[in-house]
Amino acid sequence: MASPRKRQSSPADAVRDTTGDAEGGGELLLGIVVGAQGIRGQLRIRSFTGEPDALFGYGPLLGRRRDGEEGRRLTLRRTGQAKDVVLAAVDGIADRTTAEGLKGLRLYIERSALPALEEDEYYHADLLGLAVELVGGGRLGTVKAVHDFGAGDMLEIADAAGRTKFVPFTRKAVPVVDLPAGRLVADPPEGILDDGRQGPGDQEGGDEDEPDYRVSDTRDGTE
Amino acid sequence: MARSVWKGPFVDGYLLKKADKTRASGRNEVIKIWTRRSTILPQFVGLTFGVYNGQKFVPVLVTENMVGHKFGEFSPSRTFYGHAADKKAKRG
Repeated sequence: MASPRKRQSSPADAVRDTTGDAEGGGELLLGIVVGAQGIRGQLRIRSFTGEPDALFGYGPLLGRRRDGEEGRRLTLRRTGQAKDVVLAAVDGIADRTTAEGLKGLRLYIERSALPALEEDEYYHADLLGLAVELVGGGRLGTVKAVHDFGAGDMLEIADAAGRTKFVPFTRKAVPVVDLPAGRLVADPPEGILDDGRQGPGDQEGGDEDEPDYRVSDTRDGTE
Repeated sequence: MARSVWKGPFVDGYLLKKADKTRASGRNEVIKIWTRRSTILPQFVGLTFGVYNGQKFVPVLVTENMVGHKFGEFSPSRTFYGHAADKKAKRG
């Protein structure tokens, strides 16, 4: 079987990018300089923000190659876009050679620079890594990722062994989100935490009403 | 080529029975299904399905906007983990 698309980063990377507590500390990785564009010092930047152009809405960004480095402040100005990247001019950089020297620079902002959200809205960065407890007691795991596949937001929760489950991010399924305490309480719908190893024919102990899943109302049998 | 209208939407037979059974019971449970090819029908609105993606069941709470789509569209079999950056989630 063909291998799936090369993964750009792991969810653990995403958590590491959020180096601080949920209430305003730490930094968030917004993008990476992937190269130079043209001869006038423009940069090609891969933006990780929800909308690629939102990268330019947070003022000067902190550019740093690796954790722990002091870094430098960059004031970016959007000049265009290309495939998978946004193009930007940087104050003080006017030639390609200097721009190429910035390749690999990671662009951060302080978590506190993000605007406040409405009720029941949360930044992914705040949710990642939260401990998940069950309503009835017991620990379910930690939030590994937040997804939206088209049916609403859902949390991917990893247990100690690394196995993951999906829990819908709804008031009913997640009644408590306590960011200062670093925890949330889940009340997942019945059956969602079961293992998925059973097959279509084994459901609910071989219920008589369960036909083989291949039996369907296929057309008119003229195939 | 689009499916002929006279055939009606395709749905695996067992899925209708499971949905009816769950609706009649009134329980808040996930209906586990493997049939990613089935069309979402109006009578599924409000139910939560666990749509198998080859590894695990992805919960799909069916809303009116999803009617006419296939279950598999909401349960990708390959997951891309990006960076959190400034992305937001809303608790529905």
